[in-house]
Formats: sequence, C-alpha cells, structure tokens
Amino acid sequence: MNQKNRPYQISGVENGHRIASRVLEEIIQSAVSSGHRDIEIEAFGQHGIGGRLWRAADEPLNISIVGSPGQRTGSMGFPNTRIEIQGPASDDVGWLNAGAEITIHGHATNGTANAMAQGKIYVAGNIGARGMTMTKYNPRFDPPELWVLGSVGDYFAEFMAGGIAVVCGHEGQNPENVLGYRPCVGMVAGKIFFRGPHGGFSQNDAKLVPIDDEDWDWLRENLKVFLERINQSKLHKKLAQRDQWQLLEARSPMERGFVARRSMEEFSQEVWDQELGKGGLIGDLTDLDRSPIPVITSGELRRYVPVWQNQAYIPPCEASCPTGIPVHERWRLIREGRVDEAVDMALAYTPFPATVCGYLCPNLCMQGCTRQWAGMTPVDVSSLGKASLKAKMPDLPPLSGKKIAVIGGGPGGLSVAWQLRQQGHEATVFDLEKKLGGKISSLIPRSRIPDEIVDAELTRARQALPHIHLQQKLEKEEVEKLKDDYDFVVIAVGAQKPRILPVPGKERMIPALKFLRQSKAGQAKVGKKVVVIGAGNVGCDAATEAHRLGAEDITLIDIQTPLSFGAEREAAEEIGAKFRWPCFTKEITQDGVELTSGELVPADTVIISIGDEPDVDFLPETVRIQNGFIEVNEVFQTTDPQIFAIGDAVKLGLLTDAIGAGRKAAQAISDILAGKRPRGDTRQIIDRSRIKLEYFDPRVQSFESVEHCATECSSCGSCRDCGVCITICPKGAISKKEDGENGLEMVVDASLCIGCGFCAAACPCGIWDLVENDPLGV
Amino acid sequence: MSANGIITPSTLSPKDLPWQILWEKDKCSLCGRCTAVCPVHAIELGVHRQRLVQTPMGLDREPSNVYKIFYGIRQKTDPAYACVGCGMCTMVCPNECIMVHRNDEVDKLKYHIDRGGQPRRRGGRRNVVGGILDQIKFTRISMLTDPALDAGRHEFELRTLLGRILPPEENLRLQREQGWIPPVREIYPLMIGSMSFGALSPNMWEGLQMGVAYLNEELGMPVRMCTGEGGCPPRLLRSRFLKYTILQIASGYFGWDEIIHAIPEMKEDPCAVEIKYGQGAKPGDGGLLMWYKVNNLIAAIRGVPAGVSLPSPPTHQTKYSIEESVAKMIQSMYMAWGFRVPVYPKISGTSTALAVLNNLTRNPYAGALCIDGEDGGTGAAYNVSMNHMGYPIASNIRDCYLNLVKVGMQNEIPLIAAGGVGKQGNLAANAAALIMLGASAVQIGKYIMQAAAGCVGSESDRCNVCNVGLCPKGITSQDPRLYRRLDPEKVAERVVDVFLSFDTELRKILAPLGRSTSLPIGMSDAIGINDKAAAERLNISFVV
Repeated sequence: MNQKNRPYQISGVENGHRIASRVLEEIIQSAVSSGHRDIEIEAFGQHGIGGRLWRAADEPLNISIVGSPGQRTGSMGFPNTRIEIQGPASDDVGWLNAGAEITIHGHATNGTANAMAQGKIYVAGNIGARGMTMTKYNPRFDPPELWVLGSVGDYFAEFMAGGIAVVCGHEGQNPENVLGYRPCVGMVAGKIFFRGPHGGFSQNDAKLVPIDDEDWDWLRENLKVFLERINQSKLHKKLAQRDQWQLLEARSPMERGFVARRSMEEFSQEVWDQELGKGGLIGDLTDLDRSPIPVITSGELRRYVPVWQNQAYIPPCEASCPTGIPVHERWRLIREGRVDEAVDMALAYTPFPATVCGYLCPNLCMQGCTRQWAGMTPVDVSSLGKASLKAKMPDLPPLSGKKIAVIGGGPGGLSVAWQLRQQGHEATVFDLEKKLGGKISSLIPRSRIPDEIVDAELTRARQALPHIHLQQKLEKEEVEKLKDDYDFVVIAVGAQKPRILPVPGKERMIPALKFLRQSKAGQAKVGKKVVVIGAGNVGCDAATEAHRLGAEDITLIDIQTPLSFGAEREAAEEIGAKFRWPCFTKEITQDGVELTSGELVPADTVIISIGDEPDVDFLPETVRIQNGFIEVNEVFQTTDPQIFAIGDAVKLGLLTDAIGAGRKAAQAISDILAGKRPRGDTRQIIDRSRIKLEYFDPRVQSFESVEHCATECSSCGSCRDCGVCITICPKGAISKKEDGENGLEMVVDASLCIGCGFCAAACPCGIWDLVENDPLGV
Repeated sequence: MSANGIITPSTLSPKDLPWQILWEKDKCSLCGRCTAVCPVHAIELGVHRQRLVQTPMGLDREPSNVYKIFYGIRQKTDPAYACVGCGMCTMVCPNECIMVHRNDEVDKLKYHIDRGGQPRRRGGRRNVVGGILDQIKFTRISMLTDPALDAGRHEFELRTLLGRILPPEENLRLQREQGWIPPVREIYPLMIGSMSFGALSPNMWEGLQMGVAYLNEELGMPVRMCTGEGGCPPRLLRSRFLKYTILQIASGYFGWDEIIHAIPEMKEDPCAVEIKYGQGAKPGDGGLLMWYKVNNLIAAIRGVPAGVSLPSPPTHQTKYSIEESVAKMIQSMYMAWGFRVPVYPKISGTSTALAVLNNLTRNPYAGALCIDGEDGGTGAAYNVSMNHMGYPIASNIRDCYLNLVKVGMQNEIPLIAAGGVGKQGNLAANAAALIMLGASAVQIGKYIMQAAAGCVGSESDRCNVCNVGLCPKGITSQDPRLYRRLDPEKVAERVVDVFLSFDTELRKILAPLGRSTSLPIGMSDAIGINDKAAAERLNISFVV
C-alpha cells in the first residue's frame, strides 16, 4: 500500500489508556492544522469526533472512524468534512450538523440528526428513537438530509422544522411500521419520504401528499448516491419503485389547528341517531319540533302576544259614578262630532242628568278621573250634565205586560221606574207627597238647584211613567196586596225619620229634614242665632237655608271632624257658618245648646241633622231590617225575593247612589223576568298605569268647550282610534279592521308580530295588553 | 313609581336596582327586539313627554311652551320586574344602544324581594367571587430533576379510577379464591356533574350527552356524565351510551322505576350509580319541581303523571342513621346490576364529611365519595342556602384525603371533588389543585353550562333565573320557545372543545411536574399558596 495514500492515523488510546475527548479533539484539530486531509481515527467512545474542522478551509477532509465512536459524532460538522463511521454509531450522530456528510455503515442509536441544519447523514441500518428531531432548514444553504436504509425508532421527526428524511424500509427493525410510534409530533416543515407501512403519525402536524415528478426524480437520483455511500448500489433497482414510496409533509400554519375528525352533525346523524333512533334522545317520547330557532321569533314561537282589550275594563270615571254613566263614551261621541248623541246618551242611565250631573252631584266621575291621579285637571263633566236638559227621550219599547210597583217617587224610585220602562216593563209609582222628586223637590235648597231644571226633568220622566199615584200612604196590608197585583215591589221610600239626640230639651230641636222641607215650602222661621247639631252636608244645607231666612250667627257642631264636603260645605262656609268639633251635647235649653264641657252655645233655633232612618213600619215581616235599614243583597233584593229596596232606605248616600241602585235593581228585575240569573257588571276597573297621560298637556287647568274636554279625555279602556299602535309597531303587524256590526277593531298579524309589547306600552287608552303565549309542549 | 308620587316602602328607583339599563336614544331604531327578548320584562317602551320652553331672544314676543312626544326604552322598577342583568337586550340590539350595568353599591332590591313573606329563591351559585382554588399555584417545576416532560409531545395517562380499589394482596387473594372484586372504572378525571333532565332543557341535556358520547367514541376520552335526579330517557337506558352515564338516585327516587324496567333491555351497564345525599349549593335542602314544570316529557322520564309537583325531600326517607343510610342504599344499588356497577354517595361539603368517610372506609362496597363544596351551582335554591351555607371544597377534600392517608387507604376510596371547580374560568388549574390535594376526579356543572351553552350567570348575581324557567339561553327552561335557541349539536361541539382544551391545560400543569404515568392524586408537594393560614390548614407549602 502506498504510504503516501495511507490516511493519517490517530488513536483514541494511548499507553493502554483511553484519551479524554478533550485531548483527542486537540489531536485531531492539530492534525488538520498541520495539513492532514485524510484521517483515520480509532475511537474509544470519545464525544463529538469529526466536528468543527473548519481549519481545513475549503479543502475536502475525510474522517474515517473505526472502533466505537461516542455520542454526537460529527456534531457541529462543517461542509468540507466527510465522516465515515465504519460500524454502528452512538446517540445524536450529526447533532447540530452544519454541513458535514456523515455515513454510518451500521445502525445508529437515538437522536440521529437531532437539530441538524445542513449536511447529510447516511445510515446503512436502522436508527433509534427521536431521529430527525428539531432539524432546521436555513435558506442560505441546502436543506439537511437524513437517509436510513432500514426503519426509524419511535417519536421520529418531532419538532422537525426543515430538511428531508428518507426511510427506505429495507429490512427494517420493525417491518410492520417503518416510521415507529408517534412520528411527526410538532413537525412544522420538511419532508419525509418513506417506503413501507406506518403506524400513524400526528395528523395535526403532518399530512400525506402525493409524490410529484420533481420529487420522484430527486429521490431516485439521490437514492443512488445514498446507496453508493453505503455500498449497496445493487439495491437501487429494488428500492427505486415509485409506487412503494409515500411522502409526508408538514402542514402549513394555515392548515394547522384543524384536526380531521368527524363533524358533530355527522356524528349526530350517523352515530347518535343511529343508536338511539330518529329524533335522538327523546324521539320516542315527543314529536315536538326541537330544531333551532332564532332569538327573535314571531307567530306561534313568540313568547308574548298582544291582545286588543277594547272596553274589557271599566274606566275610572264610569267606575266612580254610582249611576254608572260611561262618561268616556260621551266624550268619544263628541270627538266624533256627535254632540247630540252624547247629550242624549245620559237618559239611558238616569232620568236626572241635568239635575244631578249638572248641579247636585259632587261628580265622583271627575274625582276618579285618571288625569286627577297624575295631578292633571280632570275632564269637566258638569257642562255636559247641564246640557242634558235638552236630551231627547229615547224611544220606549212596547210593554212586556210585567208590572212593578215602586213605593217612593224620589230619585231612586224614579230611576228604577225609568229603567224598568226602558226595558219594556210597566212601573207604577206611589208617593206620599204632593210633588214627585222626593228630596230633590222637597228638601234641597233652591240655591243649589233651580226649580225649572227639576220641573223639566220631572215632566220628562212623567212622559215615560204615566202611572204615578201621589199622596198615597201605604200600610202593611196594602203592600201585601201590591205583591199580589204586581210582579215585583221596589221600596224607595228614602230615610224620612230623623234621628234625635236623647238629651233633655230634645223637643226644642228641629229635625233638619223638616226644616228644609218647610224652608223650601216657604214656611220656616229661624232666630238670629242658629246652632246645627251635625255638620254633614244636610247640616250645611240647613245652615245655608237658615242664613237665607235671616239667621246671622250660625254654628255647626259635631262630635268629630265634619264629614261635609263639596258644594254644600262651600256654601255654608261662604255664609260665615262656624264649624266646631268635637262638641258633645248635654242639654238643649231655651238659651241654646249646653255642651258636656259646660259651655253654652247660644241659639235661638237648634236644628238637628245627625242622620235619618227609613220608616219601615209598613213593610211585611218577610223583609228583614238591620239597624233600622232594609237588608238587601248585591242586586238590591230584600229577604223577600219579590221585594227590592234601594236608596236611603237601604243605606244613606248621595242622589247618584240612589239613582245607580235604581238602575241595578231594574236590571236585576229584568233579568229575573227574563228567566236569567241577575248579573252585575263583571268588568274590573282598568289598571290606571296602563293609561299614558304623557300624550296630554299637563298645564291645562280649564276647558274651553265640551270639544276640548273630549280631546283631553284619554278614553281609558276604550280605543280612541288614534293610530299610535299601528304606527309604533316595529314590524307593521297591526292594522285596523272596520266591521259594520262590531265597529272598529285593531288586529295583529301573528306572522309579523315579535311580541315586543310596544303597542301596549304606547297605547294612550290602555287597550293593548301583552300576555304570555299559550304554552307549547305541555 | 306611581305618577302622583305615592311611594311605598318597596318603591324603588333604577338607582336602587342591582342592574341598570343604559339606553342611548340617538342610536335606537325602536326595533322592539330588546323588549321582546327580555326574559323578565324588565324593559318596556316608554312614552315620554318633552317640553320645550321657547323664549324669544330679546323677549319681544311672549314665551311659549311646546310639548313633544318621544318614545324610548325604559326600565321597570317594580321589584317583580327587576332587570336580572342577563344582557340579552344588548345581544339582540342591532345598534348597540342598550347596555346593562351593575349598580356601584349594594342594591336596595335585596331588601325587597321577599314579597308575601317569601324569601328570595334563585338559580346559580354563591354570589361570592374568588376562592382558595385560584390561589393555589403549582410550584414544583422539574426542569432537570424528574425530568420535565413536554405537554405537547409526551403521552400522559390522565385516567382515574372510580370504584373501590382493593389492596393488591387482597385483590390477588380474591382472584385466587374467585371471590367478588368490586368493579372499578377507568374514567377521565373531569366529569360532568349531576344536572337532571328537567333542571336542564331537553336540548341542553341531549347536547351534553352527545358531546360525552363523541368524546368517548371519536376521541377515546372516557368522559362520564351524571344524570342528576330526574331519571334517564328510556332510549339512553337502552343504548350503548349508557356506559358513559352515571345514574343518580336521590331522595325523590324519580325515574327509578323506569330505570328498573329498562334493566332487562340494557345493552351496557351504566358507568356507576351516584347516591345523592346532599348538594353543595343548598346543603341540607331538598327541591320541589313545581307542577307546571312537569310537562309530558319530564313526567314520562320521571315516571309520574304530568302536572303534579315533585318533591325531593332534604333527606332520604326510611334511613335514620349513617350506618343504615349508607349501607342500605349502597347494597341495594349494587344489587340492581348484579354487583357489576360501582356505587358511591355524594354529599355536600360539610364539617361532618370525615364521619361519612370513616363509615365508607368500613364499608367494603363504597365505591367513592363525592363531595360537593359550597360553590356548587343549582337550578333552584333559597338565596340564603346558596350564599351562606356549605363548606369549601378544598379543605374538605384535603381533610378527607389526609384522613385516608392516616388509615392507609388513600389508594382505595377515590374522592371526587365538586362545587365551584373553574368558578372563575380556571378549570384545569382548579381541577389540578384539587387532584393534588387528594381528589381522584372533579365534577363540573355550572362551568359546562357557561362554556358549552353560554350561560351568562355569574357570582355578581347576573341572570340566575334558572329556577323560574326563563333561561334566556334555553339551558334550564322547559319552554320550547326558549330551549330551541340551543342547538344540541352546537352544545356537543362545545363540550368537546372544553374537554380537549382542558386536557391540554392539564398536561401543561402536569408535564413540568414530570408526571405522565398516573394522575398526581394527593401530590401536595407540587402545590403552594401565598397564604400562611391556608397553607397550614391545607398542609401545603407556604410560598411567597
């Protein structure tokens, strides 16, 4: 052998002792520095042999290693260096290789090519675990290559970030799986050509791609070089068969995060429903549609539904009126330009619309007005009341043949008779007095009600009621007789029996009713000083009348805060009457009223007005009396089903209370005559918070005309046809339907409505309500 | 407030309410979506009168008033309609002009939601933020010592055992003698806790079950879900998915006759049977499913006629001592499936947990002990129970584990921790902390409702109307108009997402500890806390 061609020999053993890796490195570096370019190293497990030999500059440098190289052979290798390991290699061959070509004529263990950035590693056998991991590709250089003739161990190509690995699968350690367990975890770049079966790889990081012509040409040509280096050229024909090769590539960042797995929709259809049956988990228990719906829904899927509740509730004015006049309806008629009808309408409810609504009534409807509740001036009904004097008599229906006797021709008695006649029944009125009208005619001072108004309304009433018997005092037997002659008897005798204080000198007291009656008849006289015991409204009337008759010093005394109110109280205060309380009467003397305190209230005339009781002596035993008054049920029927009782005979009250009781009793009698159970008004009063007074000017304090009143009425509970709901509906779901028979109606297109409740919230009249939709799937 | 200024003691202004609606007039298109979607009718269209006083410059003419009407969205102040803060209005608003804000002080509504003498009831969980679990940190980071593992690269054995585990010598002896060995399941340590069909809507329940089935069958994760007390749909009982299900039996025993009837037709045994003795959210209290919620579907599954109220008493009837309750119930439930199905009790967190545990250690059948801590959620409970009763899960589990260690049985009776796991969104950290304190597994309820179905409930008392069937997300409602907002497939997808991400996070915690071969149950040297008292109480490191 030519001495000159023989490689320079370096041994890892000196004097029978292994040289330290550091010393061997020094020897090799020094040899290269001295110009040796062909070196054979006998290795004894030294670390990192063959790397870092940059001192050879661009000159090719061949390192042949015999014996047993240690870990990381060829690490940090340079491009000029070609390393040939003549047997197997230890861990991490080519670690951080920066360009060396390393050939291993045997197997290599774990970590082969770990972190390799350039250069090539040719392995003639198999490699261990974690080969080709953390490899890089630097665009300034060619990519690194790892060629393995056999198979690779587990966790191959972890975090592989570049380069090319070729696994030939020739007589590999595990012929069933040439890529080992769990390859390519964390792989981000590079290619892996392999031949033979694999046992799966990280789907998240890598994907199988077809080998194109360019790839194949590269593989076939470079396979030749590999086989040459490991002296196995004869295998080329066997290995270079394109259909036996597969190619794995790293997924691009864009493809990442996508794990190829079955979609839930497919799972639901093909696994879930397959196992459970159609309709899934509860398909056998329900056929309810459970498919997804949007949050905002319409039609049947709305949670809430608007309901147009026109006239379903009583407005506060009507509810406050004991007579039950639907005041708001009159305003509606006026808004519609039907002033006459608005005026006439009152007669359907009372024979005394002018007398009572226009003059004598404290107008409870106005006190109840929703506007009042919001601190706004209530719509003024009194002008409408006064106008009712000219109201036209309604057409009377033909007579039914049923007859009712009404005892008492006051406001209550005339009301019940009036109503009964309007229902087609014949009412006969009996009264003690010479003149009809009871209290109105005989007691209430003219200062409060002009005679012509009363007379006009009484005349109108008489037109409807031809059978009136005045100055008829009835006794028990006669009442019994009436029961036989008439279908029903209504007691409306009022409370005519004054209550008197049981004190000494009581005979000196003049009952207020007597006084007022005499006063109105022009027969009363009073002294200069008048004391009225009982400071209620009747007491006030008595005081006012006493003043008219010449009294100068008038005192009303009461045992409690006086209950008087309204026009009566105002009139009494106006004439300078004094109100005193609490005052308890001990005795009446000719000097006046002596109180229990010992004080004497001087009086020439003492009037007592502490209330009155009905005279019930003429009633049959079948009518039960309670505390002096006639006991009735809610429809004013007494304990004798054939006898009704209304007005002050039942309970002391206002004129309108008696008129209203007459209406209700008449309705009950008509119902019974028609064979029906007597019914009251089942409607409830509207919740005032439903009314939107924001639509009205809060500064209005008086009304210019009935038309102005009508405009300012919010028409609680009755549709004003203002169009707000139609306009506010965000879906345009509300429209107006005019129906000849039922009038107007607002209707909702369910297919458009989303149940937002805007209509209900915006409605000035409180017609719309928002209610829960009917439950689904119950 | 009424327009004429009359107030009552319970008259509130928006300022007094816990949640306040802020509405921007300029952006609103009055589309009606917010008022249509509000579950409690807290908002409505407002009619507003606006006054413009027009006074001319120089006062050369008479000043005048002009009134205008405008419409807006208004918040109701009646306590019955108080905003619950769910924020659905914000969600549906096309113009982002409505928003809910939490009151900046303690609300006054608190003092007025006891109308008719009825104290407040609600769903959700304790209105207290925070908790010890979030303070526990994982301090053992083994870079070179164990050595550390790579969460992404390494494989981890995260499964845990459910069932009574015999000591090896005992197990071998019984194998030799062909004796009875208690059944043990290998399951995923994160379980979906008991929420009944009824407490949850059909779509929510199906979504959860579907997600669990997917995790098992498509991804190989042995996740288990407990039925809660409300029976189990007949189809599920007769399907192979039953093996992913833990059947709960509680004091009302609802649906159990249907389960019994299904036994001959079962393809698979259930995973386990949970006997509920208590619930963390309302310890010592039962439940009453009101008759109007018992629709045909729920009635069929529970085996009752529709329209009948269903009481679950606070305690099991006919059981008068711990020995009797536990022994009798566990025996019976084992018998149902021929002693092939593990049976374990669930109790609410309590200072008496050790007494229960000690009893279980002497009972050869007890398959585990599940403890539901004070932060657990519920569909309906008294506010006072939820906010003020119960025991924190961390120290309760820790005490039990250390007690097992003392008697040398820490590997024999698995402890399952529940109640506020992931309360503030830190599911994996909380679960890992509990595992290292000694839990073999953790159960979640409200977390999965939040994560898988978008439950908006919070410890700031947001929403929390689960008890009245008005759940705006359709999670706890039996009204199809609400629960059809929820697509079971979408819920299932989210369940899968939650478990996959939990799995990664758990590995991220366990990898630096160098533990991959088994769950680090009771590995308390790996955790520490910056709170001396807590460290001492839990017997873990105090780290500052």
